[in-house]
Amino acid sequence: MPNALEVAGLRKSYGSVQAVRDIGFTVRSGEIVALLGPNGAGKTTTLEILEGFRTRDAGVARVLGLDPADRSSARELRERTGLVLQDIAVEPYLTVRETIARSAGYYRAPRRVADVIDLVGLAGLERRKVRTLSGGQKRRLDLALGLIGDPELLYLDEPTTGFDPAARRDAWALVRELRAAGTTILLTTHDMEEAQALADRVVVVAAGAVVAEGRPDELGGRNAELVRIAFMLPRGYAPSDLPLTAEFADGRFVVQTNSPTQALHELTAWAMQRGTVLAGLTVDRPSLEDVYLRLTTDRALPSAPERSIR
Amino acid sequence: MTTAATATTAIGRSRRQRDDLRLVAHQVGYEQLSFWRNPQSAIFTFIFPVLFVAIMGALFGSVGKSSYFGGLSALQYYVPTIGALSVLGSCYGQLAVALAARRQAGILKRIRATPLPAWAYFTGLLAHCVLVSVIDIALIVAVGRLYGVPFPSHWLAIAITLVLGAASFCALGVAVASVISNAEAAPAVAQLVLFPLLFISGTYLPIHSALLNRVSGWLPVRPFNEALTGPFARHTGADWRQLAVLAAWGGVGAIVAIRRFRWDPRSD
Repeated sequence: MPNALEVAGLRKSYGSVQAVRDIGFTVRSGEIVALLGPNGAGKTTTLEILEGFRTRDAGVARVLGLDPADRSSARELRERTGLVLQDIAVEPYLTVRETIARSAGYYRAPRRVADVIDLVGLAGLERRKVRTLSGGQKRRLDLALGLIGDPELLYLDEPTTGFDPAARRDAWALVRELRAAGTTILLTTHDMEEAQALADRVVVVAAGAVVAEGRPDELGGRNAELVRIAFMLPRGYAPSDLPLTAEFADGRFVVQTNSPTQALHELTAWAMQRGTVLAGLTVDRPSLEDVYLRLTTDRALPSAPERSIR
Repeated sequence: MTTAATATTAIGRSRRQRDDLRLVAHQVGYEQLSFWRNPQSAIFTFIFPVLFVAIMGALFGSVGKSSYFGGLSALQYYVPTIGALSVLGSCYGQLAVALAARRQAGILKRIRATPLPAWAYFTGLLAHCVLVSVIDIALIVAVGRLYGVPFPSHWLAIAITLVLGAASFCALGVAVASVISNAEAAPAVAQLVLFPLLFISGTYLPIHSALLNRVSGWLPVRPFNEALTGPFARHTGADWRQLAVLAAWGGVGAIVAIRRFRWDPRSD
Protein backbone atom coordinates (compact mmCIF):
# COMPACT_ATOMS: atom_id res chain seq x y z
CA MET A 1 0.00 0.00 0.00
CA PRO A 2 1.48 3.41 -0.91
CA ASN A 3 2.10 6.06 1.71
CA ALA A 4 -0.37 8.94 1.92
CA LEU A 5 2.18 11.14 3.68
CA GLU A 6 5.95 11.05 3.65
CA VAL A 7 7.86 13.59 5.69
CA ALA A 8 11.62 13.56 6.30
CA GLY A 9 14.09 16.03 7.76
CA LEU A 10 11.51 18.84 7.78
CA ARG A 11 12.86 22.20 8.94
CA LYS A 12 11.26 25.62 9.33
CA SER A 13 12.38 28.79 11.12
CA TYR A 14 10.56 32.02 11.82
CA GLY A 15 13.33 34.58 12.01
CA SER A 16 15.74 33.26 14.63
CA VAL A 17 13.20 30.82 16.08
CA GLN A 18 13.40 27.24 14.85
CA ALA A 19 9.81 26.01 15.00
CA VAL A 20 10.58 22.73 13.25
CA ARG A 21 14.11 21.30 13.55
CA ASP A 22 13.84 17.75 12.29
CA ILE A 23 10.46 16.14 11.79
CA GLY A 24 9.97 12.97 9.82
CA PHE A 25 7.22 10.35 9.72
CA THR A 26 5.07 8.45 7.26
CA VAL A 27 1.35 7.75 7.17
CA ARG A 28 0.18 4.77 5.15
CA SER A 29 -3.01 4.97 3.11
CA GLY A 30 -6.05 4.24 5.25
CA GLU A 31 -4.20 4.79 8.51
CA ILE A 32 -5.07 7.14 11.39
CA VAL A 33 -1.98 8.78 12.83
CA ALA A 34 -2.03 11.19 15.78
CA LEU A 35 0.56 13.94 16.00
CA LEU A 36 1.08 14.66 19.70
CA GLY A 37 3.13 17.35 21.36
CA PRO A 38 2.95 20.35 23.67
CA ASN A 39 1.97 23.79 22.38
CA GLY A 40 4.85 25.24 20.42
CA ALA A 41 6.34 21.83 19.61
CA GLY A 42 5.92 22.41 15.87
CA LYS A 43 2.73 20.46 15.19
CA THR A 44 0.79 23.32 13.63
CA THR A 45 3.74 24.45 11.52
CA THR A 46 4.20 20.89 10.28
CA LEU A 47 0.51 20.61 9.40
CA GLU A 48 0.59 23.98 7.63
CA ILE A 49 3.59 22.91 5.55
CA LEU A 50 1.76 19.71 4.53
CA GLU A 51 -1.43 21.68 3.78
CA GLY A 52 0.54 24.03 1.53
CA PHE A 53 0.03 27.16 3.65
CA ARG A 54 3.71 27.47 4.49
CA THR A 55 6.96 26.80 2.72
CA ARG A 56 9.62 24.58 4.31
CA ASP A 57 13.24 25.60 4.74
CA ALA A 58 14.52 22.07 4.18
CA GLY A 59 13.42 18.46 4.06
CA VAL A 60 11.07 16.25 2.10
CA ALA A 61 7.26 16.42 2.12
CA ARG A 62 5.07 14.26 -0.12
CA VAL A 63 1.30 14.40 0.24
CA LEU A 64 -0.59 11.80 -1.84
CA GLY A 65 2.52 11.66 -4.00
CA LEU A 66 2.57 15.43 -4.58
CA ASP A 67 4.80 18.17 -3.23
CA PRO A 68 2.64 20.57 -1.18
CA ALA A 69 4.98 23.47 -2.03
CA ASP A 70 4.47 22.96 -5.77
CA ARG A 71 1.96 25.57 -6.86
CA SER A 72 1.15 23.81 -10.13
CA SER A 73 -0.35 20.82 -8.32
CA ALA A 74 -1.91 22.81 -5.45
CA ARG A 75 -5.45 22.72 -6.85
CA GLU A 76 -5.23 18.98 -7.52
CA LEU A 77 -4.02 18.40 -3.97
CA ARG A 78 -6.85 20.48 -2.50
CA GLU A 79 -9.36 18.40 -4.46
CA ARG A 80 -8.08 15.33 -2.64
CA THR A 81 -7.48 16.61 0.89
CA GLY A 82 -9.85 17.90 3.57
CA LEU A 83 -9.07 20.21 6.42
CA VAL A 84 -10.69 20.76 9.80
CA LEU A 85 -9.00 23.62 11.61
CA GLN A 86 -9.10 24.67 15.25
CA ASP A 87 -10.88 27.98 14.74
CA ILE A 88 -14.52 28.10 13.87
CA ALA A 89 -14.57 30.15 10.67
CA VAL A 90 -17.96 30.22 9.04
CA GLU A 91 -20.08 33.06 7.66
CA PRO A 92 -22.74 33.85 10.27
CA TYR A 93 -25.67 34.74 8.02
CA LEU A 94 -25.83 31.66 5.80
CA THR A 95 -27.80 28.56 6.77
CA VAL A 96 -26.18 25.22 7.51
CA ARG A 97 -27.23 23.83 4.14
CA GLU A 98 -26.07 26.91 2.21
CA THR A 99 -22.69 26.89 3.93
CA ILE A 100 -22.09 23.25 2.99
CA ALA A 101 -23.54 23.65 -0.53
CA ARG A 102 -21.22 26.60 -1.18
CA SER A 103 -18.16 24.49 -0.36
CA ALA A 104 -19.55 21.55 -2.33
CA GLY A 105 -19.54 23.76 -5.44
CA TYR A 106 -15.76 24.17 -5.17
CA TYR A 107 -15.03 20.47 -5.72
CA ARG A 108 -15.00 18.32 -8.83
CA ALA A 109 -16.76 15.36 -7.21
CA PRO A 110 -18.19 16.34 -3.82
CA ARG A 111 -20.19 14.19 -1.47
CA ARG A 112 -23.93 14.87 -1.42
CA VAL A 113 -24.80 17.77 0.86
CA ALA A 114 -27.61 15.85 2.57
CA ASP A 115 -25.32 12.87 3.21
CA VAL A 116 -22.70 15.05 4.89
CA ILE A 117 -25.34 16.76 7.04
CA ASP A 118 -26.44 13.32 8.25
CA LEU A 119 -22.87 12.13 8.69
CA VAL A 120 -21.91 14.94 11.09
CA GLY A 121 -25.23 14.84 12.95
CA LEU A 122 -26.70 18.17 11.84
CA ALA A 123 -29.89 16.67 10.40
CA GLY A 124 -32.87 18.84 11.28
CA LEU A 125 -30.73 21.99 11.49
CA GLU A 126 -30.33 22.51 7.71
CA ARG A 127 -32.27 25.77 7.65
CA ARG A 128 -30.76 27.27 10.78
CA LYS A 129 -28.55 30.35 10.40
CA VAL A 130 -24.98 29.56 11.34
CA ARG A 131 -24.88 32.33 13.96
CA THR A 132 -27.66 30.63 15.96
CA LEU A 133 -25.73 27.34 16.28
CA SER A 134 -24.03 26.30 19.50
CA GLY A 135 -20.24 26.02 19.65
CA GLY A 136 -20.37 22.23 19.28
CA GLN A 137 -22.76 22.48 16.32
CA LYS A 138 -20.42 24.95 14.61
CA ARG A 139 -17.55 22.52 15.06
CA ARG A 140 -19.67 19.84 13.39
CA LEU A 141 -20.33 22.23 10.54
CA ASP A 142 -16.58 22.74 10.28
CA LEU A 143 -16.16 18.98 10.11
CA ALA A 144 -18.81 18.86 7.37
CA LEU A 145 -16.78 21.39 5.34
CA GLY A 146 -13.71 19.20 5.72
CA LEU A 147 -15.62 16.16 4.44
CA ILE A 148 -17.71 17.64 1.64
CA GLY A 149 -14.98 17.19 -0.99
CA ASP A 150 -14.82 13.45 -0.25
CA PRO A 151 -11.09 13.66 0.60
CA GLU A 152 -8.62 10.78 0.45
CA LEU A 153 -6.65 12.45 3.24
CA LEU A 154 -8.19 14.41 6.10
CA TYR A 155 -6.35 16.68 8.54
CA LEU A 156 -8.10 17.03 11.88
CA ASP A 157 -6.58 19.72 14.10
CA GLU A 158 -7.84 19.07 17.65
CA PRO A 159 -11.24 18.00 16.34
CA THR A 160 -13.05 17.44 19.65
CA THR A 161 -11.75 20.36 21.75
CA GLY A 162 -14.79 21.86 23.47
CA PHE A 163 -17.07 18.88 22.80
CA ASP A 164 -19.15 17.43 25.59
CA PRO A 165 -18.47 13.73 26.30
CA ALA A 166 -21.41 12.48 24.21
CA ALA A 167 -20.48 14.67 21.23
CA ARG A 168 -16.88 13.47 21.56
CA ARG A 169 -18.00 9.83 21.38
CA ASP A 170 -20.08 10.66 18.29
CA ALA A 171 -17.09 12.33 16.67
CA TRP A 172 -14.94 9.31 17.41
CA ALA A 173 -17.55 7.01 15.85
CA LEU A 174 -17.54 9.25 12.77
CA VAL A 175 -13.74 9.12 12.50
CA ARG A 176 -13.85 5.31 12.70
CA GLU A 177 -16.55 5.28 10.02
CA LEU A 178 -14.34 7.39 7.77
CA ARG A 179 -11.42 5.06 8.30
CA ALA A 180 -13.61 2.08 7.47
CA ALA A 181 -14.43 3.87 4.20
CA GLY A 182 -10.68 4.17 3.48
CA THR A 183 -9.96 7.77 4.44
CA THR A 184 -6.45 8.47 5.71
CA ILE A 185 -6.42 10.77 8.73
CA LEU A 186 -3.70 12.87 10.33
CA LEU A 187 -4.92 14.06 13.70
CA THR A 188 -3.52 16.42 16.30
CA THR A 189 -4.85 16.33 19.83
CA HIS A 190 -3.99 17.09 23.43
CA ASP A 191 -6.40 14.41 24.58
CA MET A 192 -4.45 11.20 25.21
CA GLU A 193 -7.65 9.21 25.56
CA GLU A 194 -8.56 10.36 22.06
CA ALA A 195 -5.19 9.33 20.65
CA GLN A 196 -5.50 5.97 22.39
CA ALA A 197 -9.04 5.47 21.10
CA LEU A 198 -8.52 6.50 17.47
CA ALA A 199 -4.93 6.33 16.35
CA ASP A 200 -3.24 3.34 14.73
CA ARG A 201 0.05 5.05 15.46
CA VAL A 202 1.15 8.16 17.35
CA VAL A 203 4.07 10.46 16.57
CA VAL A 204 5.27 12.53 19.53
CA VAL A 205 7.03 15.81 18.76
CA ALA A 206 8.78 18.09 21.22
CA ALA A 207 10.84 21.21 20.55
CA GLY A 208 10.51 20.76 16.79
CA ALA A 209 11.66 17.15 16.52
CA VAL A 210 10.11 13.68 16.67
CA VAL A 211 10.94 12.09 20.04
CA ALA A 212 8.94 8.86 19.76
CA GLU A 213 6.72 7.00 17.38
CA GLY A 214 4.69 3.84 17.64
CA ARG A 215 1.37 2.17 18.38
CA PRO A 216 -0.40 3.89 21.28
CA ASP A 217 -0.11 0.80 23.50
CA GLU A 218 3.58 0.31 22.71
CA LEU A 219 4.78 3.89 22.74
CA GLY A 220 8.04 4.48 24.59
CA GLY A 221 8.24 0.79 25.56
CA ARG A 222 4.98 1.19 27.45
CA ASN A 223 4.05 -2.49 27.05
CA ALA A 224 7.43 -3.61 28.45
CA GLU A 225 7.29 -1.41 31.54
CA LEU A 226 6.81 -2.62 35.08
CA VAL A 227 3.28 -2.96 36.39
CA ARG A 228 2.42 -0.78 39.38
CA ILE A 229 0.41 -2.27 42.25
CA ALA A 230 -0.73 0.46 44.65
CA PHE A 231 -2.61 0.19 47.96
CA MET A 232 -2.87 1.68 51.46
CA LEU A 233 -0.91 0.03 54.23
CA PRO A 234 -3.33 -1.52 56.78
CA ARG A 235 -3.36 0.19 60.18
CA GLY A 236 -0.87 -1.22 62.64
CA TYR A 237 1.64 -2.54 60.09
CA ALA A 238 4.99 -1.13 58.98
CA PRO A 239 6.24 -1.21 55.36
CA SER A 240 8.88 -3.70 56.43
CA ASP A 241 6.09 -6.18 57.34
CA LEU A 242 5.08 -6.45 53.66
CA PRO A 243 6.26 -9.52 51.71
CA LEU A 244 7.55 -7.28 48.85
CA THR A 245 9.49 -4.03 48.68
CA ALA A 246 7.12 -1.09 48.42
CA GLU A 247 7.72 2.63 47.96
CA PHE A 248 5.53 5.37 49.31
CA ALA A 249 4.12 7.67 46.61
CA ASP A 250 1.07 9.97 46.47
CA GLY A 251 -0.44 8.67 49.73
CA ARG A 252 -0.17 5.00 48.80
CA PHE A 253 2.43 2.25 48.78
CA VAL A 254 3.53 1.11 45.34
CA VAL A 255 5.06 -2.19 44.31
CA GLN A 256 6.64 -2.25 40.84
CA THR A 257 6.93 -5.69 39.27
CA ASN A 258 7.31 -7.54 35.99
CA SER A 259 5.31 -10.53 37.30
CA PRO A 260 2.08 -8.95 38.50
CA THR A 261 0.12 -12.21 38.99
CA GLN A 262 2.69 -13.58 41.45
CA ALA A 263 3.13 -10.25 43.28
CA LEU A 264 -0.60 -9.69 43.62
CA HIS A 265 -1.04 -13.19 45.00
CA GLU A 266 1.67 -12.67 47.62
CA LEU A 267 0.24 -9.30 48.70
CA THR A 268 -3.39 -10.39 48.97
CA ALA A 269 -2.43 -13.66 50.73
CA TRP A 270 -0.44 -11.61 53.24
CA ALA A 271 -3.48 -9.42 53.95
CA MET A 272 -5.95 -12.29 54.13
CA GLN A 273 -3.76 -14.22 56.63
CA ARG A 274 -3.81 -11.17 58.87
CA GLY A 275 -7.56 -10.68 58.51
CA THR A 276 -7.14 -7.22 56.97
CA VAL A 277 -7.65 -5.57 53.58
CA LEU A 278 -5.52 -3.57 51.11
CA ALA A 279 -7.68 -0.48 50.76
CA GLY A 280 -7.60 1.45 47.46
CA LEU A 281 -5.94 -1.44 45.62
CA THR A 282 -5.16 -0.72 41.93
CA VAL A 283 -3.09 -2.44 39.27
CA ASP A 284 -1.99 -0.45 36.24
CA ARG A 285 0.65 0.19 33.62
CA PRO A 286 1.85 3.70 32.87
CA SER A 287 -0.85 5.41 30.80
CA LEU A 288 -0.24 6.96 27.39
CA GLU A 289 -0.35 10.27 29.22
CA ASP A 290 2.41 9.20 31.64
CA VAL A 291 4.61 8.15 28.73
CA TYR A 292 3.76 11.31 26.80
CA LEU A 293 4.62 13.57 29.73
CA ARG A 294 7.91 11.76 30.30
CA LEU A 295 8.79 12.12 26.60
CA THR A 296 7.88 15.77 26.27
CA THR A 297 8.94 17.37 29.57
CA ASP A 298 12.61 18.28 30.10
CA ARG A 299 12.59 19.61 26.55
CA ALA A 300 12.18 23.30 27.22
CA LEU A 301 10.93 25.13 24.21
CA PRO A 302 12.45 28.33 22.96
CA SER A 303 9.91 28.06 20.16
CA ALA A 304 7.28 30.46 18.84
CA PRO A 305 3.77 30.41 20.31
CA GLU A 306 1.40 28.15 18.37
CA ARG A 307 -0.84 30.90 17.13
CA SER A 308 0.13 34.50 17.42
CA ILE A 309 -2.17 36.60 15.34
CA ARG A 310 -0.39 39.82 14.59
CA MET B 1 -4.07 9.91 -33.63
CA THR B 2 -2.70 13.43 -33.36
CA THR B 3 -6.04 14.81 -34.52
CA ALA B 4 -7.86 12.72 -31.92
CA ALA B 5 -5.51 13.90 -29.20
CA THR B 6 -5.97 17.51 -30.26
CA ALA B 7 -9.73 17.06 -30.26
CA THR B 8 -9.62 15.54 -26.77
CA THR B 9 -7.51 18.44 -25.51
CA ALA B 10 -9.93 20.89 -27.10
CA ILE B 11 -12.90 19.16 -25.43
CA GLY B 12 -11.01 19.13 -22.13
CA ARG B 13 -10.27 22.82 -22.47
CA SER B 14 -13.83 23.79 -23.30
CA ARG B 15 -15.09 21.68 -20.39
CA ARG B 16 -12.61 23.37 -18.06
CA GLN B 17 -13.75 26.78 -19.29
CA ARG B 18 -17.36 25.82 -18.67
CA ASP B 19 -16.44 24.54 -15.19
CA ASP B 20 -14.56 27.75 -14.46
CA LEU B 21 -17.55 29.80 -15.54
CA ARG B 22 -19.84 27.71 -13.36
CA LEU B 23 -17.40 28.15 -10.46
CA VAL B 24 -17.40 31.94 -10.83
CA ALA B 25 -21.21 32.04 -11.07
CA HIS B 26 -21.43 29.85 -7.96
CA GLN B 27 -19.03 32.12 -6.05
CA VAL B 28 -20.77 35.35 -7.16
CA GLY B 29 -24.11 33.87 -6.08
CA TYR B 30 -22.95 32.97 -2.59
CA GLU B 31 -21.06 36.25 -2.17
CA GLN B 32 -24.36 38.02 -2.93
CA LEU B 33 -26.28 35.78 -0.55
CA SER B 34 -23.85 36.50 2.32
CA PHE B 35 -24.10 40.23 1.65
CA TRP B 36 -27.88 40.55 1.40
CA ARG B 37 -28.43 38.31 4.42
CA ASN B 38 -26.44 40.66 6.63
CA PRO B 39 -28.90 43.48 7.33
CA GLN B 40 -26.24 45.91 8.59
CA SER B 41 -23.93 45.73 5.62
CA ALA B 42 -26.82 45.91 3.16
CA ILE B 43 -28.48 48.94 4.79
CA PHE B 44 -25.37 50.98 5.61
CA THR B 45 -23.85 50.50 2.18
CA PHE B 46 -26.87 52.12 0.55
CA ILE B 47 -28.16 54.53 3.17
CA PHE B 48 -24.99 56.60 3.63
CA PRO B 49 -24.58 57.95 0.07
CA VAL B 50 -28.33 58.52 -0.34
CA LEU B 51 -28.45 60.44 2.92
CA PHE B 52 -25.43 62.48 1.88
CA VAL B 53 -26.96 63.58 -1.42
CA ALA B 54 -30.29 64.27 0.29
CA ILE B 55 -28.55 66.55 2.82
CA MET B 56 -26.54 68.30 0.11
CA GLY B 57 -29.76 68.76 -1.81
CA ALA B 58 -31.46 70.30 1.21
CA LEU B 59 -28.50 72.65 1.79
CA PHE B 60 -27.62 73.63 -1.77
CA GLY B 61 -30.67 72.55 -3.78
CA SER B 62 -31.50 76.15 -4.66
CA VAL B 63 -27.92 77.14 -5.59
CA GLY B 64 -27.92 77.42 -9.37
CA LYS B 65 -24.99 77.26 -11.76
CA SER B 66 -22.02 79.10 -10.28
CA SER B 67 -18.31 79.51 -10.96
CA TYR B 68 -17.65 78.15 -7.42
CA PHE B 69 -18.93 74.76 -8.60
CA GLY B 70 -17.05 75.04 -11.92
CA GLY B 71 -20.03 76.32 -13.85
CA LEU B 72 -22.35 73.61 -12.56
CA SER B 73 -25.19 73.77 -10.06
CA ALA B 74 -24.34 72.45 -6.59
CA LEU B 75 -26.29 69.24 -7.07
CA GLN B 76 -24.86 68.69 -10.54
CA TYR B 77 -21.48 68.85 -8.83
CA TYR B 78 -22.38 66.57 -5.92
CA VAL B 79 -24.24 63.77 -7.74
CA PRO B 80 -21.09 62.52 -9.54
CA THR B 81 -18.67 63.18 -6.63
CA ILE B 82 -20.91 61.45 -4.10
CA GLY B 83 -21.45 58.72 -6.69
CA ALA B 84 -17.66 58.33 -6.80
CA LEU B 85 -17.59 58.34 -3.00
CA SER B 86 -20.12 55.51 -2.85
CA VAL B 87 -18.03 53.46 -5.29
CA LEU B 88 -14.98 54.11 -3.12
CA GLY B 89 -16.90 52.94 -0.08
CA SER B 90 -18.31 49.81 -1.63
CA CYS B 91 -15.08 48.81 -3.39
CA TYR B 92 -12.04 50.17 -1.58
CA GLY B 93 -13.52 50.58 1.90
CA GLN B 94 -15.56 47.42 1.93
CA LEU B 95 -12.81 45.15 0.62
CA ALA B 96 -10.04 46.56 2.83
CA VAL B 97 -12.15 45.98 5.94
CA ALA B 98 -13.94 42.77 4.97
CA LEU B 99 -10.83 40.96 3.73
CA ALA B 100 -8.80 41.89 6.81
CA ALA B 101 -11.66 40.65 9.00
CA ARG B 102 -12.12 37.45 7.00
CA ARG B 103 -8.42 36.74 7.17
CA GLN B 104 -8.30 37.28 10.92
CA ALA B 105 -11.34 35.05 11.46
CA GLY B 106 -9.69 32.25 9.48
CA ILE B 107 -12.33 32.36 6.72
CA LEU B 108 -9.74 33.07 4.02
CA LYS B 109 -7.59 30.19 5.18
CA ARG B 110 -10.59 27.91 4.97
CA ILE B 111 -11.32 29.08 1.42
CA ARG B 112 -7.67 28.56 0.49
CA ALA B 113 -7.91 24.94 1.63
CA THR B 114 -10.55 24.24 -1.03
CA PRO B 115 -9.83 23.87 -4.75
CA LEU B 116 -11.46 27.26 -5.47
CA PRO B 117 -8.78 29.17 -7.42
CA ALA B 118 -7.77 32.60 -6.08
CA TRP B 119 -8.85 34.32 -9.30
CA ALA B 120 -12.36 32.89 -8.98
CA TYR B 121 -12.60 34.11 -5.40
CA PHE B 122 -11.54 37.64 -6.38
CA THR B 123 -13.75 37.66 -9.46
CA GLY B 124 -16.66 36.88 -7.15
CA LEU B 125 -15.74 39.82 -4.93
CA LEU B 126 -15.23 42.19 -7.88
CA ALA B 127 -18.60 41.27 -9.41
CA HIS B 128 -20.19 41.85 -6.04
CA CYS B 129 -18.55 45.29 -5.63
CA VAL B 130 -19.52 46.38 -9.16
CA LEU B 131 -23.12 45.37 -8.51
CA VAL B 132 -23.26 47.29 -5.24
CA SER B 133 -21.68 50.32 -6.96
CA VAL B 134 -24.28 50.21 -9.74
CA ILE B 135 -27.12 50.14 -7.21
CA ASP B 136 -25.51 53.00 -5.25
CA ILE B 137 -25.11 55.17 -8.38
CA ALA B 138 -28.68 54.45 -9.46
CA LEU B 139 -29.99 55.51 -6.03
CA ILE B 140 -27.91 58.69 -6.07
CA VAL B 141 -29.04 59.62 -9.59
CA ALA B 142 -32.63 59.04 -8.52
CA VAL B 143 -32.27 61.27 -5.44
CA GLY B 144 -30.53 63.91 -7.60
CA ARG B 145 -33.45 63.80 -10.02
CA LEU B 146 -35.78 64.64 -7.12
CA TYR B 147 -33.76 67.84 -6.67
CA GLY B 148 -34.00 68.60 -10.38
CA VAL B 149 -30.65 67.28 -11.62
CA PRO B 150 -31.29 66.01 -15.17
CA PHE B 151 -30.54 62.35 -15.99
CA PRO B 152 -27.11 61.91 -17.57
CA SER B 153 -26.98 61.21 -21.29
CA HIS B 154 -23.70 59.31 -21.82
CA TRP B 155 -24.55 55.97 -20.22
CA LEU B 156 -21.82 54.02 -22.03
CA ALA B 157 -19.15 56.44 -20.81
CA ILE B 158 -20.57 56.14 -17.29
CA ALA B 159 -20.57 52.33 -17.51
CA ILE B 160 -16.94 52.22 -18.70
CA THR B 161 -15.85 54.69 -16.00
CA LEU B 162 -17.79 52.83 -13.34
CA VAL B 163 -16.38 49.39 -14.12
CA LEU B 164 -12.82 50.67 -14.48
CA GLY B 165 -13.14 52.73 -11.29
CA ALA B 166 -14.67 49.85 -9.35
CA ALA B 167 -11.94 47.47 -10.51
CA SER B 168 -9.18 49.96 -9.64
CA PHE B 169 -10.53 50.74 -6.20
CA CYS B 170 -11.13 47.03 -5.54
CA ALA B 171 -7.46 46.40 -6.36
CA LEU B 172 -6.44 49.22 -4.01
CA GLY B 173 -8.74 47.84 -1.30
CA VAL B 174 -7.17 44.38 -1.58
CA ALA B 175 -3.74 46.02 -1.52
CA VAL B 176 -4.55 47.83 1.75
CA ALA B 177 -5.96 44.60 3.23
CA SER B 178 -2.71 42.89 2.21
CA VAL B 179 -0.54 45.47 3.92
CA ILE B 180 -2.59 45.67 7.13
CA SER B 181 -2.17 42.63 9.35
CA ASN B 182 -4.61 43.58 12.09
CA ALA B 183 -8.34 43.52 11.36
CA GLU B 184 -9.14 45.96 14.19
CA ALA B 185 -6.86 48.55 12.58
CA ALA B 186 -8.27 48.05 9.08
CA PRO B 187 -11.20 50.52 9.19
CA ALA B 188 -9.03 53.24 10.76
CA VAL B 189 -6.17 52.79 8.31
CA ALA B 190 -8.51 52.64 5.33
CA GLN B 191 -10.22 55.88 6.41
CA LEU B 192 -6.98 57.60 7.36
CA VAL B 193 -5.71 57.18 3.82
CA LEU B 194 -9.02 58.03 2.23
CA PHE B 195 -10.27 61.07 4.12
CA PRO B 196 -7.57 63.65 3.21
CA LEU B 197 -7.57 62.29 -0.30
CA LEU B 198 -11.32 62.86 -0.62
CA PHE B 199 -10.90 66.38 0.70
CA ILE B 200 -8.16 67.54 -1.65
CA SER B 201 -9.90 65.80 -4.54
CA GLY B 202 -12.97 68.03 -4.18
CA THR B 203 -15.40 65.34 -3.11
CA TYR B 204 -16.89 67.44 -0.31
CA LEU B 205 -16.08 70.97 -1.55
CA PRO B 206 -14.67 72.32 -4.81
CA ILE B 207 -10.94 73.05 -4.47
CA HIS B 208 -9.67 76.26 -6.01
CA SER B 209 -5.96 75.78 -5.38
CA ALA B 210 -4.05 75.05 -8.58
CA LEU B 211 -1.30 73.30 -6.63
CA LEU B 212 -3.69 70.98 -4.75
CA ASN B 213 -5.54 70.25 -7.94
CA ARG B 214 -2.33 69.34 -9.74
CA VAL B 215 -1.25 67.04 -6.90
CA SER B 216 -4.65 65.37 -6.51
CA GLY B 217 -4.88 65.01 -10.29
CA TRP B 218 -2.15 62.37 -10.06
CA LEU B 219 -3.80 60.55 -7.13
CA PRO B 220 -6.67 58.13 -7.70
CA VAL B 221 -9.74 60.01 -6.40
CA ARG B 222 -9.82 63.23 -8.45
CA PRO B 223 -9.43 61.47 -11.82
CA PHE B 224 -12.42 59.31 -10.92
CA ASN B 225 -14.46 62.36 -9.83
CA GLU B 226 -13.60 64.14 -13.07
CA ALA B 227 -14.24 61.09 -15.23
CA LEU B 228 -17.71 60.74 -13.72
CA THR B 229 -18.53 64.47 -13.74
CA GLY B 230 -17.96 64.68 -17.52
CA PRO B 231 -20.63 62.23 -18.66
CA PHE B 232 -22.88 63.03 -15.69
CA ALA B 233 -23.01 66.82 -15.88
CA ARG B 234 -21.03 68.16 -18.84
CA HIS B 235 -22.41 65.87 -21.59
CA THR B 236 -18.96 64.67 -22.54
CA GLY B 237 -17.88 61.10 -23.26
CA ALA B 238 -15.34 58.90 -21.51
CA ASP B 239 -12.38 60.93 -20.26
CA TRP B 240 -9.52 58.64 -21.32
CA ARG B 241 -6.74 60.72 -19.75
CA GLN B 242 -8.35 60.53 -16.29
CA LEU B 243 -9.21 56.87 -16.81
CA ALA B 244 -5.56 56.14 -17.65
CA VAL B 245 -4.42 57.66 -14.33
CA LEU B 246 -7.09 55.64 -12.52
CA ALA B 247 -6.09 52.41 -14.30
CA ALA B 248 -2.45 53.03 -13.42
CA TRP B 249 -3.37 53.23 -9.73
CA GLY B 250 -5.46 50.09 -10.13
CA GLY B 251 -2.41 48.40 -11.63
CA VAL B 252 -0.23 49.47 -8.70
CA GLY B 253 -2.88 48.16 -6.30
CA ALA B 254 -3.07 44.86 -8.17
CA ILE B 255 0.71 44.39 -8.05
CA VAL B 256 0.85 45.07 -4.30
CA ALA B 257 -2.18 42.79 -3.77
CA ILE B 258 -0.70 39.91 -5.77
CA ARG B 259 2.68 40.19 -4.08
CA ARG B 260 1.57 40.75 -0.53
CA PHE B 261 -1.86 39.14 -0.13
CA ARG B 262 -2.01 36.53 2.64
CA TRP B 263 -4.75 33.99 3.30
CA ASP B 264 -3.39 32.95 6.63
CA PRO B 265 -3.85 34.93 9.85
CA ARG B 266 -0.25 34.20 10.82
CA SER B 267 2.57 35.83 8.94
CA ASP B 268 5.23 33.55 7.47
